[in-house]
Amino acid sequence: MFPPVRLDPAALMGEISAFQRKLSAGLGNLAHQQEPEYANTPREAVYREDKLTVWHMKGQGKPTAKTPTLIVYALVNTVWMTDLQADRSLVRNLLEQGEDIYLLDWGYPDAADRWLGLDDYINGYLDRCVDAVRRHAAVNAVNLLGICQGGTFSLCYAAIQPEKVKNLVTMVTPVDFQTPDNMLSHWSRELDVDLFVDTMGNIPAELLNWVYLTLKPVRLNQQKYVGLVDVLDNPKELANFLRMERWIFDSPDQAGEAFREFIKDFYQQNKLIKGEVVIGGKPVDLGLITQPVLNIFAEQDHLVPPDASRALGRHVGTTDYTQLAFKGGHIGIYVSGRAQREVPPAIHQWLSSRS
Amino acid sequence: MADQASDLLKDYQAMAKQSWDSWTRYLQQQMAGTSPFAHAAGMPHGGSGDDLLARSMAALKGYGEWLQGAAGSGLGQAGGDWQQSLNQMFAGLGGQPFAHAFASIDNESARSFTQLWQSWLQATQAGAAGHAFDVEHMAAFGYTRERQLHQQAMAAAMRDYLDWAGKYQALIQRANTEGLERLKLKLADLGDSKQQIDSLKALYDLWVDGAEEAYAEIALSDEFRHVYGAMTNAQSRLRLLQQEQLDAFCRELGMPTRSEVTALGKRLQELRRELRATSSNAGADEVSALRAEVAALKRQLADQPAAEKVIAKKPVAKKSPARSSKRSADDEMVRRSSKPAAAVVARKSVVRGATRTRK
Repeated sequence: MFPPVRLDPAALMGEISAFQRKLSAGLGNLAHQQEPEYANTPREAVYREDKLTVWHMKGQGKPTAKTPTLIVYALVNTVWMTDLQADRSLVRNLLEQGEDIYLLDWGYPDAADRWLGLDDYINGYLDRCVDAVRRHAAVNAVNLLGICQGGTFSLCYAAIQPEKVKNLVTMVTPVDFQTPDNMLSHWSRELDVDLFVDTMGNIPAELLNWVYLTLKPVRLNQQKYVGLVDVLDNPKELANFLRMERWIFDSPDQAGEAFREFIKDFYQQNKLIKGEVVIGGKPVDLGLITQPVLNIFAEQDHLVPPDASRALGRHVGTTDYTQLAFKGGHIGIYVSGRAQREVPPAIHQWLSSRS
Repeated sequence: MADQASDLLKDYQAMAKQSWDSWTRYLQQQMAGTSPFAHAAGMPHGGSGDDLLARSMAALKGYGEWLQGAAGSGLGQAGGDWQQSLNQMFAGLGGQPFAHAFASIDNESARSFTQLWQSWLQATQAGAAGHAFDVEHMAAFGYTRERQLHQQAMAAAMRDYLDWAGKYQALIQRANTEGLERLKLKLADLGDSKQQIDSLKALYDLWVDGAEEAYAEIALSDEFRHVYGAMTNAQSRLRLLQQEQLDAFCRELGMPTRSEVTALGKRLQELRRELRATSSNAGADEVSALRAEVAALKRQLADQPAAEKVIAKKPVAKKSPARSSKRSADDEMVRRSSKPAAAVVARKSVVRGATRTRK
C-alpha cells in the first residue's frame, strides 16, 4: 500500500521550528495591539428608545435610492458585523452603490429587559423604528433588510404591517426551523425552555457563545487558534483576527421572555411555516407577504442551514421572489472578499429595479 | 533515522518549553488584575488570571503537545508502518490527542457550577466526625424539617445532573474516538489515490475534518438530543433550587430577593404594555374620527348644488394653481363655510378629548 504519510525528519523539525518562531514573535505583536475598531462609518442617531438606537449611515455622497433601507439585525451578537472594517463593510458597500441605509442597533439588554417578549420587539420596538425611519426619510414605506433572526423578525413584521414595507431582503434567515441538518434546532427540541428561562432570567451571552462554539468544537475552539499563529507576525491580519474575535464575543444577553417565545414557537414547534405564529394577538401569515422578496443565504452556513432559508420560497405569498445562494458561511457572507464583490451589488441591483 | 528524529525532538522540546514559558509569563501579567474579587469571594473558577490563561491557551498547548507526540512517534518516516505509528502516537497521548477541543465543551459553562456543587455534596455527606451521612435519604423532621427537605431535593438534583453530564461526556468521548477512526480512513483513501501527507499541519487538518464529521453525526443523533436536553434540564432544576435557597437567605437578612425583583420587572413591563396600548388606542380612535370627518365632508360636498361648487372653485384656482384639485376643493370647503360643519365640531371635540386623556 502506498504510504499516505511521509514526514521527512528535517522538514518536520523545520515546520515545528517555524511554528515556535511565529509563536514567540507573536508575543511582541500581541503586546502592542490596541482594541480593534470597527469600520465606524459616519452615522447619526435618528431614534433612541430604551437600549436601542436607529442609526442613519452616512456615505460619501447623497443617496440616490428613493426608498431607505433599514437593516434589522438579530438579537444575538451585534449589528456591527455589517460594518466590521472599512474594506469589509456591507453598509459602506451599499452606501457607495447609492442606497440610503439605516441600522437598528438593539443594544445590550439587562435585567430591566427580562420581560420583553416578541410582541415588544416586533410590534413595539421594530414598528416604532420603522416609523422613525419613515418620518426621517419622509416616505410611506421602507425597505427592510433582515439578517438571521432579524430576517425572521422582518418577515413577521412585513406580514403584520405590509403597508410599511416596500421591499424585503432576508439574509441567512431561518424560516423552516426543523431541517434535518439544523443542529441548534436539534439540541433545543428537548430543552425545557420554561424551566431554563425561569432559572436563568436573561440568557447570558457567554452561554450562548459557548453553544455556538460547540457546533464545531474542534474547528472553533482549537484549529482557529492554531491558525492564529500563522498571522501573529502580520499586524494587519492579526488586527483583522482580533476584530472578529471582538465581534464574536462582545455579545448582548438575550431578554429571557423573547428567548422563551422564540425557542418555543420557532425552534421547537416550527410555527412560522405552519402559519401558526401569533405575535401580540396578530397572526403571522407568510402568505400575506406580497412585497418583492430577495432571499440570500449561505451554502456553507452551519448556524442557519441553506434549506432552512430556502423554505421561504415555498411559503411566501409574493409573486416577485428572488433567491441568491452565496458560496460561503454565515459570517463570510458579510466579510469575505467574495461577499464584498457579490452581495452588495446584487442587493443594490435588485432594489434599484424595484424602486 | 529514528535517532536523528530523537535528537531533533529533544532540541524541539527545549525550545518549545522556553517559548511556552515566555507565553505563560506574558499572559499571566496581562491577566493579573483581571478579577481581583474572584479569590476573595472564594470562587472556584471565578475568572482569575490563571484560570482564564489556562482556558485561552489550552488550544495552543494541546496542539503543541500533539506536535511533540507526532514528532517522536516516527510517524511517516521511511520503512515504518504508518498505521502502527499513528496508533502509538494517539496511545501515547492517552487516546485523546486533543482532549481540550472536545472534553472541555461539556464543562466550560458548567465547570465551576459542577465543582461547587460536588464540594457541597461531599460536605453534606461527611457528617459528624467524618461518618458517612446520607442526607438525601434521611427522614426529615423537627424545626428544620423544611430545610432538610430542600437539601435533600438539592442533593437529588445534583446527582441527577451529574448522571446526565456523565452520559454527555461519554458521547463526547465517543466522538473523539470516532474522529481518530475517520482520520485513519481518510489516510487510507489518500494512500489508495497515491497522495501523501507531508506536514504535521496537514495531518492535523485532516484529523480536524474527521473529528468534526464524527462529532456532527453524533450531535445530530436522537441519543445526543435526549442527553443534551436532559442534562440542561437537570442543571436548570438544580440552579432553581439553589436560587430558592439564596432567596431564603436574603429574606432572613432583609435583602430583596431575586424572585421579588423578577416579579417587579414583570409587573413594570405589563404596565408599559398597557400604557402603550392605551395611547395607541387613543391614537387609533382619533384617526377613526378623522376618517369619519373626511367622509362626512365628502358627502357634504357631494350634496351641494353643482353651480355652487364651480363658483367656489374659481378663485382658488387663480390663487394657487399648483395645488391639486382635490386639495383645493377640501381647503375651499373649510374656508367657504361660515359656520363649522358638524363633523368639524366633532373632530375638535375628539382632539380635545384625546388631549385630556393624555394629561
